[in-house]
Amino acid sequence: MSESVCVPIAPLEEILERYPREEASLIQVLQDVHRAYNYLPCDVLVKVSESLGVPLAKVFSVSTFYKAFSLTPQGKVIVKVCTGTACHIRGATQLIDEVRRLLDIAPGETTPDMGFTLKTVNCVGACAMAPVLIVGEKVHGNTKPAKVAKVLGVEEKHHAH
Amino acid sequence: MRIDSRERFGAAVREALAGREGHKMEILVCCGTGCLANGSQKVAEAFAEEVEKRGLKAGVGLFTKKTGCHGFCERGPLVVLQPSGVLYTKVEPRHVPDILDKTVAKGELIPRLLYKDPATKKPVEKYEEIPFYKNQTRVAMRNIGKIDPADLGDALAHGAYAGLAKALFEMTPEQVIAEVESSGLRGRGGAGFVTARKWKAARKAAGERKFVLCNGDEGDPGAFKDRSIMEGDPHSVLEGMVIGAYAVGAHEGYIYVRDEYPLAVVHLTLAMAQAREAGLLGRDILGTGFDFDIRISRGGGAFVCGESSALMRSIEGKTGEPRQKYVHATERGLFDCPTVLNNVETWADVGAIIQNGGAWFAAMGTEKSKGTKAFSLVGKVKNTGLIELPMGTTLRHIIYDIGGGILGDRPFKAVQTGGPSGGCLPESHLDDPVDYEKLTEAGSMMGSGGMIVMDDRTCMVDVARYFLRFLVEESCGKCVPCREGLKQMLAIYDDLVAGRGRPGDIERIERLSAGMRLGSLCELGKSAPNPVLSTLRYFRDEYLAHIERKACPAGICRDLTAYEILESCEGCGVCLKACPAEAITGEKKALHVIHQGKCISCGACYEVCPTDAIRFFPKAELAEAAAAGRGGAS
Amino acid sequence: MITLTINGKTVRAREGSPLLEAIRAAGVEIPTLCHHEALEPWGGCRLCLVDVTRPEWKGWAKMVVSCMYPAEEGLIVQTHTERVVETRKVVLDLLLARCPETPLIQKLAREHGIEKSSYPPNPEPTDCILCGLCTRVCDHIGVFAISSVNRGAGREIAPPFHEAPPDCIGCLACAEVCPTSCIPYETSDAKRTIWNKTFEMVRCPTCGKAHITTAQAGFYAGRNGVPRSYFETCDACKRREMAHTFSKLSAGAGGVR
Repeated sequence: MSESVCVPIAPLEEILERYPREEASLIQVLQDVHRAYNYLPCDVLVKVSESLGVPLAKVFSVSTFYKAFSLTPQGKVIVKVCTGTACHIRGATQLIDEVRRLLDIAPGETTPDMGFTLKTVNCVGACAMAPVLIVGEKVHGNTKPAKVAKVLGVEEKHHAH
Repeated sequence: MRIDSRERFGAAVREALAGREGHKMEILVCCGTGCLANGSQKVAEAFAEEVEKRGLKAGVGLFTKKTGCHGFCERGPLVVLQPSGVLYTKVEPRHVPDILDKTVAKGELIPRLLYKDPATKKPVEKYEEIPFYKNQTRVAMRNIGKIDPADLGDALAHGAYAGLAKALFEMTPEQVIAEVESSGLRGRGGAGFVTARKWKAARKAAGERKFVLCNGDEGDPGAFKDRSIMEGDPHSVLEGMVIGAYAVGAHEGYIYVRDEYPLAVVHLTLAMAQAREAGLLGRDILGTGFDFDIRISRGGGAFVCGESSALMRSIEGKTGEPRQKYVHATERGLFDCPTVLNNVETWADVGAIIQNGGAWFAAMGTEKSKGTKAFSLVGKVKNTGLIELPMGTTLRHIIYDIGGGILGDRPFKAVQTGGPSGGCLPESHLDDPVDYEKLTEAGSMMGSGGMIVMDDRTCMVDVARYFLRFLVEESCGKCVPCREGLKQMLAIYDDLVAGRGRPGDIERIERLSAGMRLGSLCELGKSAPNPVLSTLRYFRDEYLAHIERKACPAGICRDLTAYEILESCEGCGVCLKACPAEAITGEKKALHVIHQGKCISCGACYEVCPTDAIRFFPKAELAEAAAAGRGGAS
Repeated sequence: MITLTINGKTVRAREGSPLLEAIRAAGVEIPTLCHHEALEPWGGCRLCLVDVTRPEWKGWAKMVVSCMYPAEEGLIVQTHTERVVETRKVVLDLLLARCPETPLIQKLAREHGIEKSSYPPNPEPTDCILCGLCTRVCDHIGVFAISSVNRGAGREIAPPFHEAPPDCIGCLACAEVCPTSCIPYETSDAKRTIWNKTFEMVRCPTCGKAHITTAQAGFYAGRNGVPRSYFETCDACKRREMAHTFSKLSAGAGGVR
């Protein structure tokens, strides 16, 4: 692979022990890999292809089909703004604007210091608490734009005039 | 203890009940997602700590437990005290000592923690008296909020697996199917297919290896009933699936849980382990010789995997591309074997139906839509949360009597049902009874049960665009009408909300909609035009305003809307603080001003102004005003 | 064999065979793009849609893709109802917007009365219609070198990581099956390049022409248990040799000299 970042292989080997070595295990393996490495590194995918006996092209197809997976390293903290209908009605757009303003990244992007990745997700099922912001594993309901800086743990930023 | 006979089952239930006799009082802390997001974990911990400190467990027989979602998420964190039935809302850790010292010890209520009925303005003591709960009939959600989902004993004490015991000890598979048929149960995931018919076809199908699957994908944004069932009462799902497997002759099952629900995976896994140990799942269930076990398959973040053939492909480790199926999954489904796929709620209903009889279920509901249905009532409604009601309840009853009416008492505009495959219904349909046929007739559909209430500050063109944006991301891309059609439809809507609408746009939308409806491979593409067509049907005026006058009557489309502060402004400065673009200036107690050049038309100021001193108007008028030499500073 | 009607004409067909076969056997022309007789039907392009009904359906009809819908006794098929023709037009209109400069799509669109797409043209025109034939034939052969990547509007055909596909054997089946010839390749006596991967060629010991890649020869040999040497000689020379052998054999058996 042209990406020549070396990743430790031990986590992958431990993951492969958990599932039967067949195509049906692919998505579960990829999820565990994603959790362990914070993304799907290419050489890990090659090893997954060999271990499960699934052609590399199919592994790549599955890796790019599902939104849960990123093929590039993500930030330490994943910030997810729910864009489900209830959240949309209750101001998800304002939340995204605010996160963009504070972190200077658009949905799908990662801050240069690899601190944060911003993502939009299609409904996490906490609709009664709309709008919902998820920072790491923690779910924040009824989030107002004014609270976002505190929730993210970043300094309030002001536009330069 | 492994349950391997009828007697042992009875004994296990008696033991579970006896174990609870020592519970003179129970404190139920809701740890469903909504309450958790509001800090109920800390409340539960505070209770555990304080109860320990006061030695109340041994002394008074006080037990605290963490339950699944009560449904009244708007008022969380929720705490219920049994047996008194007192419901406390918005409970914080600092309230806990008082609750223990006053309510538990002396029966004294704490009024500020009680729910206040907006009509009478009086606090309501017991949760059963609150309209939100009083008007519900909980079948699928019968135990959620009452049991600790991590405790099989608690579930058994509340009737879990009684239906399974009856099915395995007293009924043949054919009798089980007959009972489900007499209940009139139809799929609760959206399509509403008659469940018994599906089971019959799978039972008849040739093949040794058969599967029963649970669709826990719940992709409809705004719906979270399946999440609550899987998290709050996983045993109800397991019980239903074992009964179904017995009925069709399957020995393997999968529960497909979407990636966004990790807690559901945890609770289901734990429940399965406990059920296996007790002989309620796995080999030789209840000692009857029937084998059936379940695996969990997690989704990867794809709405299309709620479609049955895509879901099966996903379990097989492939991309979630639906298959054109002219052969039903009941004949050739997962791994080409006969397969029954049902929704979480459907499975949760099965146990209760077997236990109470099909006639009991069929006594509720309408002629063609029997039983009860879970809904997630969300959006601009006062009491958001999860409810379960008999089919046939009217939208008005749901939104006003149970939901408490529109947030802020603003005018009702529409209620969206059925997710991205559904439609928006206006005021004229508020008295429609909710059932499969009626909703479809009106241009929407039942879907998963999401009900999103919208007020006058909702632009219906924007709503249709919202659903198109959602679907464009979720389309698998296999067929031309959906992949290319959604892209082009969204482009038309992007133009509409930006003021670039042209005459003929409505006709173009209608033509493309017909092509997508008839030409798409699966229901995602076929039903994608529903939000578009229903908003066109009931809110055509709004479309015409966008096209002909470049105006957004609801004041939502940012490119078409401008805001200005009226002279009645009292200078409180709330808008200035709320503005994310720093476009408002003003001195304390003096008239504030919006600088149009900086304003991004987000409406934040309008939402927070306490004196209604801000108005919105079509942006086009700014140019006119500038020309006339008036208007705000820029 | 069963009987059904196509556009009012009674025809016979094998039970369970795709309607498309019977339709074409009856001399009716309907367009297809993702169909190939050597491959399993896919149902992606939607051009082969037809209306089907049965007498007992009392006038209710459904639109199905004829490449997959199985022929059954008594089925009534209409290949050019108003809604079928209109839906084909919508599909071609959309495809022409995606591929405004692709001759095959322009031709099909024109045949359906569409000169220019009613949608804005693709700012990055492509010839790829995402019919999937390339990946399907590659899978069918057993190579699985390329696949469809991403989903929805961003869907495309690509090798893993958009780099030279490790499993590709350079057989050119994907390029040959592509209806719009949008997979580029170069081939010469010295080497062959496709999907940014370069292959060495096997030269026929008899005529000296390079005819397949070494990777291809190795793949076939590995799969069939046939010796690698079998794949050295090119097809034309193999046929000549075999004809020569047969004629020698038949001469020996008393045949014509």
